[in-house]
Amino acid sequence: MSAVSDAEAARRGKSGLFSLAKTAPWFIAAVLLICLPLVFNSGAGFTVMNQMAITIIFALAYNMLLGQGGMLSFGHAVYMGLGGFFCVHLMNMVEYDGLMLPLPLLPLFGGLFGLLFAFIIGSFSTRRAGTVFAMISLGVGELIASLSIIVVAFFGGEEGVSGDRTMGPEVAGFDFAQQSEVYYLTAAWLFISALAMFLYSRTPIGRISNAVRDNEERAEFLGYSQRYVRWISFCASGFFAGIAGGLFAINFEILTEENLNLATSGSILLITFLGGVGFFLGPVIGAIVFTLLQTVLSLYTEIWALYVGLLFVLTVMFFPSGLAGVIAIHVRPWQLGKIGLLAAPYLKMIVPAALFVFSCAAVLEILFHARHAALGEEEMWLYGLTINSQGVWPLTIAIAIAVVSLIILKRLAPSLKEAWDEANHQETGS
Amino acid sequence: MSAAAIELKDLNKSFGLARIIRGVDLSIGRGERHAIIGPNGAGKSTLFNLITGKYRPSSGSVHLAGTDISRLNPYQINRMGLSRSFQITNIFPKMTVFENIRCGLLYSMGYKYSFWHLVDRQPKLTERADEILEQINLTDRRHLIAGVLTYAEQRALEIGITIAGGADIVMLDEPTAGMSASETDYIVDLIRQVTEGKTLVIVEHDMGVVFNLADRISVLVYGEIIESDAPEKVRASEKVQEAYLGVAEEEAD
Repeated sequence: MSAVSDAEAARRGKSGLFSLAKTAPWFIAAVLLICLPLVFNSGAGFTVMNQMAITIIFALAYNMLLGQGGMLSFGHAVYMGLGGFFCVHLMNMVEYDGLMLPLPLLPLFGGLFGLLFAFIIGSFSTRRAGTVFAMISLGVGELIASLSIIVVAFFGGEEGVSGDRTMGPEVAGFDFAQQSEVYYLTAAWLFISALAMFLYSRTPIGRISNAVRDNEERAEFLGYSQRYVRWISFCASGFFAGIAGGLFAINFEILTEENLNLATSGSILLITFLGGVGFFLGPVIGAIVFTLLQTVLSLYTEIWALYVGLLFVLTVMFFPSGLAGVIAIHVRPWQLGKIGLLAAPYLKMIVPAALFVFSCAAVLEILFHARHAALGEEEMWLYGLTINSQGVWPLTIAIAIAVVSLIILKRLAPSLKEAWDEANHQETGS
Repeated sequence: MSAAAIELKDLNKSFGLARIIRGVDLSIGRGERHAIIGPNGAGKSTLFNLITGKYRPSSGSVHLAGTDISRLNPYQINRMGLSRSFQITNIFPKMTVFENIRCGLLYSMGYKYSFWHLVDRQPKLTERADEILEQINLTDRRHLIAGVLTYAEQRALEIGITIAGGADIVMLDEPTAGMSASETDYIVDLIRQVTEGKTLVIVEHDMGVVFNLADRISVLVYGEIIESDAPEKVRASEKVQEAYLGVAEEEAD
């Protein structure tokens, strides 16, 4: 739909550099970023929001490769991590060597270092797409992660490198000691980076990056070197990953091997896929959901990573276009004005679905507690109840609820399917 | 007339021990409509891929308007004004029809690797893409995802992408393969119209198309050109009858 209006606007030539339909989402996003601290004004709230913003930038940068360019990287933490390490060192130079670098500009330098390393490594890794690229990215990722333990002078070994963000010159009276100040700094960079990445996808190189993803041979015969196209995309992605790294350095004031290693590279792939690689907003959704699970769920359960893994596997299996894809399939019923048809079946299913999820989680939690709690410690807390994890009944009840709710869900499924088909059906002649 | 549009000099290509192209010499003049025909496995597509830079020759050379292009990459050859289509439909299936054409235009309209232009804000680019859509009769398919077009429409779109860059030399690899008679007529008309004034090199199985379209025909058999002449003469040539048309009859049995 938007393609139509875009094209119409373009045909008219001069019309709407600031057309309402296109700028409204960005305006709303800006207002949201400004107003969020009014709601979540606790320390924990800022921690989560800052982390979320950083992850969003990183995920969007990663999707420039995966979604836009069709390049599967297993080592993209390298560019965020290196950007971050250089920023911590810059912060220390500000503190000890009197370097006059205002803190808000630091992420830009993170970006430039990310760009530099993407330029160097991309010069050979982007020669080929597909498996070759993926394998080189994996190798380089491991290489840099290992280097970070060996080259202690730069990477600080296992303790990493830490700094102090408040030692720089004050900017307009802010010394960035407060988390809220860091939040606004991060949010500003998030907004700028996201907008820049969005516009990038609308440039000739952005479009050709899609073309090379879809059909590299055809693109070659249109005058484009597939290698240079991939290399440029890789550099752009490295730049924005480096910005995320700089913000990480500001926010956490420490970088370690963990920022470069395979686990971090893997989770950004997971986040991007979870959100949906085919949509600009996909990585944003993925980053928000993942950060929430990581920070909030981990307060309640030790096996949060298992739930994240399950969510990932289920999403990939049933909704390969990610969470954004789940939202996108509702656009058509919405446009047909039939979204209301789905409300009743959804409402009917929400209770058994929740019961099913929570009872399955209960089974996992009880089993985990039974196996891992200290000897003799049989009591556990679950959903506000004190239960005996060694007993037979709690497990039996949890399984029974799971089975019953699953049966109810199965019974309700046909009515949802029917409503779904109806909601997507366009009356002929309308 | 200075140098020929395309000139092949003692061109050879081997894959392992198999010699696919054996010492081909061929000169295609500017503005000529040249068809390459030959039985299956004669090396027509290989020859095509050698000219367009997909393969490197084992020996010999390919010249484009006098310049040796045998060691260049496809994108470099394309920038010198040679464009091609493919035997298997080769478009960008996930993009819209309009975007397909626009991608074909970007390089030649000077946008190259730009990251400071927004493609939707380039009226000239949009205008030109729409002109080409008009030419290939796909204007009403403008917003469709290219992958959902009919086969004939996809072939037409591919021809559109191929000519979009304004290349002087257009090479089409079996543009009518797998088409019904009416679709074939449609595509042949389209080719004639969009390659007006350009050099056209076409590999084709359909003899009707070849004799209808070409000024000159080269017959390739087992990697060698056994005849290269005007259509009537090729049709009359005994050598060709024996080597190719005879084979075709056998195949038909």
